[in-house]
Amino acid sequence: MPAASPEAYQAFGMLLSSSLALPELMPADAVLTEREPLVELVEADHRQWPALQPSPHSTPMLQLAPQEWRLEFEGIGWFRATGGERLEWQRWDDSVSDRDIRTFAVTSGLGALAIQRGGLVLHGTALERDGEAILLLGHPAAGKSTLAWCLLQEGWRLLSSELVAVSSDGLVQPGIHQLKLWHDAAVAVDLNWAQLPPVRKGLKRYALMAQDLTCMPQPTPLRLIYSLNRAKEDSGKENDIEVGDDKEKISLKASRNFSQTNALLRLRNQAFHARMYRGMDAEAQMFMQAAGLARTVPLHALIVPDGIRAMAESLKKVNLMQPESMQQRKEAIEEDASND
Amino acid sequence: MTEDHSYWYLASYPKSGNTWCRVFITELMRLAGDNLREELNLNQDIETGAIASSRLWLDDQLGVNSCDLSFCELDPLRGRAGASAWLFAEGERFHKVHDAFQSRDSRGRPVVSTTGCSGVVYILRHPEDVAVSLGHFFSWPLDRCVDFLLDPSAALMPGEHFGGHQVRQHMGRWDQHVRSWVDQTQLPVLIMRYEDMLAKGSETFTELATFLGLPSEAHLIDQALENTSIEKLKKLEEDLDGFAEKPAGCERFFRSGRTGEGADRLSNVQRQRLVKGLSEVMKRFQYEGPEVD
Repeated sequence: MPAASPEAYQAFGMLLSSSLALPELMPADAVLTEREPLVELVEADHRQWPALQPSPHSTPMLQLAPQEWRLEFEGIGWFRATGGERLEWQRWDDSVSDRDIRTFAVTSGLGALAIQRGGLVLHGTALERDGEAILLLGHPAAGKSTLAWCLLQEGWRLLSSELVAVSSDGLVQPGIHQLKLWHDAAVAVDLNWAQLPPVRKGLKRYALMAQDLTCMPQPTPLRLIYSLNRAKEDSGKENDIEVGDDKEKISLKASRNFSQTNALLRLRNQAFHARMYRGMDAEAQMFMQAAGLARTVPLHALIVPDGIRAMAESLKKVNLMQPESMQQRKEAIEEDASND
Repeated sequence: MTEDHSYWYLASYPKSGNTWCRVFITELMRLAGDNLREELNLNQDIETGAIASSRLWLDDQLGVNSCDLSFCELDPLRGRAGASAWLFAEGERFHKVHDAFQSRDSRGRPVVSTTGCSGVVYILRHPEDVAVSLGHFFSWPLDRCVDFLLDPSAALMPGEHFGGHQVRQHMGRWDQHVRSWVDQTQLPVLIMRYEDMLAKGSETFTELATFLGLPSEAHLIDQALENTSIEKLKKLEEDLDGFAEKPAGCERFFRSGRTGEGADRLSNVQRQRLVKGLSEVMKRFQYEGPEVD
C-alpha cells in the first residue's frame, strides 16, 4: 500500500523512491532522476514473499540467497532487498515507529541493495575536502562518527557515515547524511544533547541530521583510506612509541602505507557484513573490487588518541590528507598495529 | 584428531576459574595433539574474550548494527544469534560466558544460543573468594564487591553512554547466576567447584575431559594440570608482558588462585551480608560462611 506521494532520494549511486520519509538521505537531483532507474522502498506483506532455500550463511534473523536479503527482526519488522531494485519492509506491529523502520532500512537494507548492484560497501565514514575524499574504516563503536564530527568542524564535508560505497572508478558515492553520536561523545564535543533526537527511543545515542551537518552531494574521488585504532587498544604497541614525549601520546598517528596484501585484508575485514557478501554469492566480486582499491588508494592505520577532547585538539595540528605529517620518528607504528 | 564440530559453553560468574579451565582445555588438547608445539602461549592459544557478548559477532549474526539497539532489546535476540554453523566453523569450540542463562529482559529465553550446543560446564567458586578476586580485578573496595555479588541487577556493562566492543552481560545476584545455569534443562551441564579443581585436580579435570569428549588418560590430565598450575600461569603471564584478558589498572591476572582468602580478607560484617543473602545456594554447594548473628 504505497503512500500517496513517494519522495525521491539518492544514496550510494542509487535513485530511490520511498513512501517513508528518509531524512538521512539526500533528495534526488534532477540530473539523476533522468538518468538512473528507480529503486523502490515500499511497505509490503512478508507473508507474500516466496520461500527461500536454506543457506549455510543464513542465521535465524538473516536469510540470504543470490540477489536476495531478508531480515526478520522481532519487535521491529521484516525487511527484504531483491535484485538491487526493491526494498520492502513491514512493521512488526503498530507500535513500531517510522524511525525504527528507517534505522534498519537505511543501513542494513540499503547496504544489501548496494551489494546486489555490484558495489563495494564498507563499514566506514567518508569525508571530502577540496574535491578529494578520505575514508575512515572501523567497526561500529570504533570512533568513526566522533572523528568525523571533529573533522566537520575543521572544514570537511560528510559524504556518508556508517556505510560507504566505492564505485569501480574509485569514486565515493554520497550515502547516509547523518551522524550518530553516543552521549559521552556528544557531551565531549559540547553539543546540546538534550536538543538532539535519539537514534531510537530510549537510546543514549543521538542523531545529527543533514541540516546539522555540512554534507557533500557529489561523488568524490577517494584519495586515502584510514583504518581506525584507538590508542588504548593498541597498548601492546605503545612501547614502540618513545615514552616521555607527552605530545606524541596525545597526537593522531598514522602508520606507513600498508602493503597491497595487508590493505586487501583490511578492506575485506571491513566489508559491510562479510556474511551478506557470502550469502548473496558476491564474495568474489567484493574481493576483486577490494583488490582494485588496495592497488590504487593508499591505506594507513590511524591511531586515535584515547579521549575525545584530545582527539579534537590533535586534529587541529595535522593534515589528514598528508599521512606522512602524522608519522612519528622511527616509523614507530607498524602496519600490523591492529586490533582486528 | 578427528574433526569435531560440537561446541560448548564454559559458564561462570566472573573470577571463578573460567580462564584457568579454558587454559587447561587448550593445554590438554595441545598435549594430545599430533603436532606438539613448544609451550602454551596464553594470548595466542586460548580463545580470548566472551564471544557470546561480542558486539562484532552479534552484528554479523543479526545483520544490523547492535549499537542501534538497547540492551533490553538485544537480550531476547542474543539467544537466537549463533545457531548457525559459523559459530563452530572456525575451531572455536569452547565459549566463555559470564552472563546468567537468562536476563531480566530476555523474556525467559536464554541469552546464549542453545541450538547445536553440546553442553555447558558451569564453574563456581566460594562467593567470599570471588569478592576478593573481583576487588583485585576491578580495583574495587571490598564493600563494593560484596554489593555487586548481592545485586540482582549486576551486570558487566560497557555503559549506555558509549559504544564498546561487548554488549551488556547480565549476571544478577551470585546465587541467581548459579541457579540460572545449574537448574536450566535445555543443555547438559557439568558443575565444577573451583575448590575441587584445586583440591582434587586429577579427579575433577578427568570428569571435565570425559564430559567434553576430550582425551582423558591420566598422564595427559596430570601433565596438563602441571603445565597450567597457578605458578606456571603466573610465570607465563610475566614472560608474555601483558595478558590480553587483564584490564588496565589490574596488576596481574593470575594472582593467588588460592581458596579461603575471602574468609581472611573480608570483615565479619561483609561475610555476614554474603551468607545472609546467598545462604541457600551456598549451602547447596557446601560453601560455609560465618555463624549468622
